[in-house]
Amino acid sequence: MKFVRSVTDVFGYSPFGALKQHAELCGKAIGLLQKQFEAYRRGEFDKVEKFREKIDELEYKADLIKEEIRTNLTRSLLLPVDRHDLLHFLEVQDEIINYCEHVGHMVTFRCVKAPENIWREFDILLAKIMETVNKYEELVDHISRLIASSFTKKEVEDAMYHVKEVEELEHECDLIQIGLYTLLFNAEGMDPLDIHLMVTWVSHLGEIANYTARAADRFRIMVLGRG
Amino acid sequence: MDLLLALTIIAGLYMAWNIGANDAANSMATSYGSKALTLKQIVIVASILEFCGAVFFGKNVTHTIAKGIVPIDILDEHLVALGALAALLSAGFWITLATYYQLPISTSHSIVGAMLGFGLAAVSQNYLHISDIHWNVMGKIVLSWIISPIFGALLAFLIFTLIRMFILAKFEIDRVEHIFKYLQVGTACYVAFAHGSNDVANATGPIAAALGYMGQQMPVWVLLIGGLGISIGIATWGYRVIEMVGTKITELTPTRGFSAEFATATTVLLASYFGMPISTTHTLVGSVIGVGLAGGLASVNLKIVRRIIASWLLTVPVAAGLAIAIYTVMVIFL
Repeated sequence: MKFVRSVTDVFGYSPFGALKQHAELCGKAIGLLQKQFEAYRRGEFDKVEKFREKIDELEYKADLIKEEIRTNLTRSLLLPVDRHDLLHFLEVQDEIINYCEHVGHMVTFRCVKAPENIWREFDILLAKIMETVNKYEELVDHISRLIASSFTKKEVEDAMYHVKEVEELEHECDLIQIGLYTLLFNAEGMDPLDIHLMVTWVSHLGEIANYTARAADRFRIMVLGRG
Repeated sequence: MDLLLALTIIAGLYMAWNIGANDAANSMATSYGSKALTLKQIVIVASILEFCGAVFFGKNVTHTIAKGIVPIDILDEHLVALGALAALLSAGFWITLATYYQLPISTSHSIVGAMLGFGLAAVSQNYLHISDIHWNVMGKIVLSWIISPIFGALLAFLIFTLIRMFILAKFEIDRVEHIFKYLQVGTACYVAFAHGSNDVANATGPIAAALGYMGQQMPVWVLLIGGLGISIGIATWGYRVIEMVGTKITELTPTRGFSAEFATATTVLLASYFGMPISTTHTLVGSVIGVGLAGGLASVNLKIVRRIIASWLLTVPVAAGLAIAIYTVMVIFL
């Protein structure tokens, strides 16, 4: 609008909405990964391929959000948290969806034959990862209340409690992973190549949980490191 | 002479209209953004309070602009009338141009620069000596431009920190914001009153000078005209600015708006008391930054500080230069 002098220029770009969106995409990607594994078990490989594509799309969207934040987060912005802490947090959060994409691809490499008990363990692991990331999304949701209250002690404590919950869930993922490794390395009659690929799946799925916990930790550093 | 005075009053009205249309609207926009008041209510409340501020508290700053910079009592009445008109025209032109290009300039700085330009033109024609210009007052005014946004920032920082420590930390956020929505109506009114008291002088100062205003007394109708011009500005154009700015500054939630407005209004009213023509908009920007420094905002763009400083450096020479040119032309032809 011409012929207007306004004070709106004083409000800068806020990255927090975009950060939440980015975290939501991570959650969606893991949901798709779960569906991809189900399709794999049923032998519906065209669907497996479709889910891979969908996960790729989500990862691409997440990359765009990441770029948007990095482009706009200039040093001239006065933010309630440290700019470097925020960028570092984003970087780690981005790894969550990157590893989803890796797993999504690795599932399509080969048709693996494995005993039922191993598949069941994969289901359990995926469900636990989903739980971890859902909890993580809730944690990132805290950011709007943190800002609304301008980081009062109570809100910060609530958020920190959530960080611990994410870390505990990640530990549970670790335990399931260890169980799966043991099962795989002791599986009788399985093709060694199948075992190798499944072990790779396990370690990459583990990375999803790891990066979720690390992102939660970066979130903690960002929130506590204010001022 | 009567024609000259009529022209001066018209130019003053245009100036007042501008102040109402843009600056008054900016200061009231938060109440629209938080939906504490409807657009119609804001227009009515702002018009009344700006008018009251102008009429009851506008005298000191008017005095500064009329005779604080240029010693009009030792000049010929006709020259003063020409100079006042030239100052209003040049400031009005510059404000219109800068508004078109959306530069964050101040109407107060423009009129001060323009009055200084008139003084310098009188010096160049040997009606005045360069040392006759009240440089000490000019220095105080410039100092007040620097102090006011900083003071606003400090005050807003303090107020918001207190709200944060004693209210936000103890009560439910949504409830606090809801209550502050109504408290903020009060601070918005406070801003409107303070703004009227300070910025009306940008229009009435030159009119008072043109009237050959010598002593302490100035006819009340001058301030009435200024207040009326501001109110008309709000009603005819300001509501659009309120709508636009209000929808864009939802970030300024009621607690933040309250802090920024209270700090701005207090600073501006203090300046009015001391007769210093400062920029309400720049003070508001300073106050918002203060809230941001207290951790109250998601993001504040500090680039605006650079833009404001640039607008200071630009406004005074441009407004002064334009006033010199217009005054010189008028002296030749009128």
